[in-house]
Amino acid sequence: MKKLVLLFLLAFRGWVGFSQSDTGSSLPAASGGSYALVAGGSKGIGYGIAEALAKRGYNLILIARHLDTLQAAKKKLESAHPIHVDILAIDLSFEKSADEIAKWCKDRDIHLKVLCNVAGLGGSKDYLSFPLDSLRYMVRLNIESCMALSLTLMPLLEKNAPSYILNVASMAGFAPIPVKNLYSATKSAVVFFSYSLRYQLKDKHISVSCLCPGPVFTKPEIVKDTKQKLGWFGMKMALDPGTVGEVAVKKTLKKKLIIVPGGLAKISAFVIRLLPRRWVVALYGRAGKKKK
Amino acid sequence: MSWALIAGGSKGIGYAVSEALGRRGYDILLVARDGQALAAAKSKLESHMPVRVETFAADLSLPASAGDIANWCRDNAFDLNILCHVAGMGGAKDYLRLPVSELNRMVSVNFVSPMSLTLSMLPMLQKNAPSFILNTASLAGFAPFPFKNVYSATKSAVLFFSYSLRNQLREKNISVSCLCPGPVFTKPAIEDETRKKLGWFGSQMAIEAGALGEMAVRQMMNGRMIIVPGRLSFLVSVLLRLLPAGILARVLSEKPTANLTDTI
Repeated sequence: MKKLVLLFLLAFRGWVGFSQSDTGSSLPAASGGSYALVAGGSKGIGYGIAEALAKRGYNLILIARHLDTLQAAKKKLESAHPIHVDILAIDLSFEKSADEIAKWCKDRDIHLKVLCNVAGLGGSKDYLSFPLDSLRYMVRLNIESCMALSLTLMPLLEKNAPSYILNVASMAGFAPIPVKNLYSATKSAVVFFSYSLRYQLKDKHISVSCLCPGPVFTKPEIVKDTKQKLGWFGMKMALDPGTVGEVAVKKTLKKKLIIVPGGLAKISAFVIRLLPRRWVVALYGRAGKKKK
Repeated sequence: MSWALIAGGSKGIGYAVSEALGRRGYDILLVARDGQALAAAKSKLESHMPVRVETFAADLSLPASAGDIANWCRDNAFDLNILCHVAGMGGAKDYLRLPVSELNRMVSVNFVSPMSLTLSMLPMLQKNAPSFILNTASLAGFAPFPFKNVYSATKSAVLFFSYSLRNQLREKNISVSCLCPGPVFTKPAIEDETRKKLGWFGSQMAIEAGALGEMAVRQMMNGRMIIVPGRLSFLVSVLLRLLPAGILARVLSEKPTANLTDTI
């Protein structure tokens, strides 16, 4: 009997999880002069998102640490799309960065419609193999910068409503991954933050989405790491940043809350969220110990 | 006898945890911000238990604190094998009602501090194994509570951290537990508020700090991972974990239950 009830609840949970997609009025293309800000937009998933936004006619503000990669991104985007790209070389891990960015936008009265928090730090080094300073940097970049930028840019987004916030978490935010301890914990905070923010901002007509991708091949190391730890299945699940960006932007503009690109990743995410956490942790723990 | 360190141990849940450890014969190291509260806790503990109590005043939101505390333990040869992190920050004000600096401080106290302190103390805990680590999350770590947005997010991070850490440290014979309480009557204000806003259900779910500390320590010593004190809180925690986050966030964001989130 107990098992039956549990099974029913699990099935219910699964069904709700899948059917829960708000398909509100879609707003695919930008009207002239609309801007999208992509924090961490010079490379990887951020660049993929920037490209998908450019395709839809949004002017862009790209933020990253290094000016040279920003300039390269600007050149590439402006040559392929009839849009304007602004670039700001700012380290998002500083507490004052969010205020600086908001001031920059306010001074120019930017017609901001979309905010994408993509900047993040993660990798094969994590808790127990990373110095404390780097771990703190990870928290600042993954959680604090995302919360701060959403807060400081809120007045602009509110003014230009309906508007959109896209936070980038990861599938690692659905269940704890021991070898990616801190990364996974920070991403779960981003997932929670996005859920809460969505309901806090509902009345202000700002839609909040959270991108939770599986492996994305943004660097050669990730290809190697995925092959080693997740094997054949991981390779099948992985996507390129262009595809991820396109799916992310499409679903964000459709006001979907949780975005998991890719069929296999979607199924994996579904299973991960359904199973009891300690099972998933044990499974991840075993996979993480695999060496070559 | 060995030492136990309680970060945030001068008042509330932390003090109750210290008391429960003292009752089991552990010598106590208390860390908190307020020197006066520390002195009061020390004299209270020593007056009714045959334990040694040492105190260290440190602001756990500062990055340097974890290293300072570890050095203090090493210099005084406090060989500890229990580390409890109970310090936390939360309240009625959260995202949209706090400035960025306060939100960052909440992230620091609730999440970065246990993570840093654990890493700094790990060599000592490993040397004195079998050892125990107790982190403090909350029922709000099981599901997103929109009105306690950042608090809830940091507590989820603590929960994730604890799960992963337990797996990482198992072979080193260090047991990791995570305390996830519902409403706890640590201050008269919370008691009033819970009674007023949650009514009978809230009062039934709420627990008094002393009982909570005792339960937390007993279950930590038994090597339990998730500790939810109180039968009703446990039931609520099962629902929070089982139901989809989207539905919970929606339900919890509606006005009548918004009051509930103010007390947890």
